[in-house]
Amino acid sequence: MAVSPSMNWRRFFLEAATLIAAAILCALVANAFASRERKLAVVSHGVAAGASPAAVQPRAAAPTPVTRVPLPPPTATTVNRPPATKKPTTDNRQPTTQFNPHPDKPYIEIHGDDVHDLHTKGVLFLDARRTSVYEQGHIPGARPFSVWESDVDEKVNKLYAERSDPKDQNLPIVIYCSGGDCEDSHMLAQKLWGIQFNNIYVYKDGFPDWQKRGLPIHTGANP
Amino acid sequence: MKWLAHPWLAIRVQIALGVIFVAAALPKIVDPPSFAHMIYNYKLIPWALVNPMALVMPWIELLCGLALIFGIWKETSRTIIAALLAIFIIAISINLGRGNAIDCGCFDVSAAGKTTAERIADMRWAILRDLGMLLMVAQLWYAAMQERATGSSA
Repeated sequence: MAVSPSMNWRRFFLEAATLIAAAILCALVANAFASRERKLAVVSHGVAAGASPAAVQPRAAAPTPVTRVPLPPPTATTVNRPPATKKPTTDNRQPTTQFNPHPDKPYIEIHGDDVHDLHTKGVLFLDARRTSVYEQGHIPGARPFSVWESDVDEKVNKLYAERSDPKDQNLPIVIYCSGGDCEDSHMLAQKLWGIQFNNIYVYKDGFPDWQKRGLPIHTGANP
Repeated sequence: MKWLAHPWLAIRVQIALGVIFVAAALPKIVDPPSFAHMIYNYKLIPWALVNPMALVMPWIELLCGLALIFGIWKETSRTIIAALLAIFIIAISINLGRGNAIDCGCFDVSAAGKTTAERIADMRWAILRDLGMLLMVAQLWYAAMQERATGSSA
């Protein structure tokens, strides 16, 4: 590093260490007093490892990475359905039995028509965006589940407690974030899959797509 | 080139650099989870370091910025700031090279909902801006060296 030749190195390191130590102290104090949504877990939890509730043995590493799963051809993991325009009489859509548990995959990416279908059937929706964004508008019934906020593990544990029965863990869950290159829903899916949730769907196009379709939106802190 | 080392200029550059760093630090201090998300998007550091970095780095920026504004520990502060700028330039350049369009998280940590092309343009602009700030640090070093040379020859 280019430091002035006559710089006193001992003094420099002492001052630098003091500045960094002060920064660490300030960061810890500020974080301790931060509100729930602005608080960050000091130690980053590996999303792929799962939340590890006491009663659960986390799964081994997922076969697919946390990063975005590229869209495969229409048969394998992505459920592609004909456009909604064909809906009324000739219902080409497959029955919901296709939303079967898939313990071998952390998640399956689905699109708007399937998401709407699952929503009308009362499936659990999780919103992986920041709570502040969630409050501005979310899919009705969706629970706030930001992967970046410090209470995510607490929420995951609560969900696990609600669905501790293996049968319940096979129930579908839809997770969404902001679409585009947003990976938060994939990260949350990976986390839930890590603690035995076997039937998770990621709404690939996310909330912007839901809005574009003119579907109902709920605002505020409650689902 | 005497004007470049003139104290009148150096003090203004020092304060301006300090103000820029304080302004850059505040949004990150207010919303650490968003900043952590942006650091994660760079895909350069291990997951375990994302949160500690998101918590501490803005405070380093703030304290160094304040030190420059108030003229305390100037040499150390500007050296740390130069190191941070170098890290930012390298990190953004690597992602530009990869074609990974990210929000730089330099002054704003809210997800801006920009297109890929807009993000890439912003990243180029951020590199230029950081290079400009590095030039400001270089001016401060040069002024300090000239001041010492003048002091020792007097």
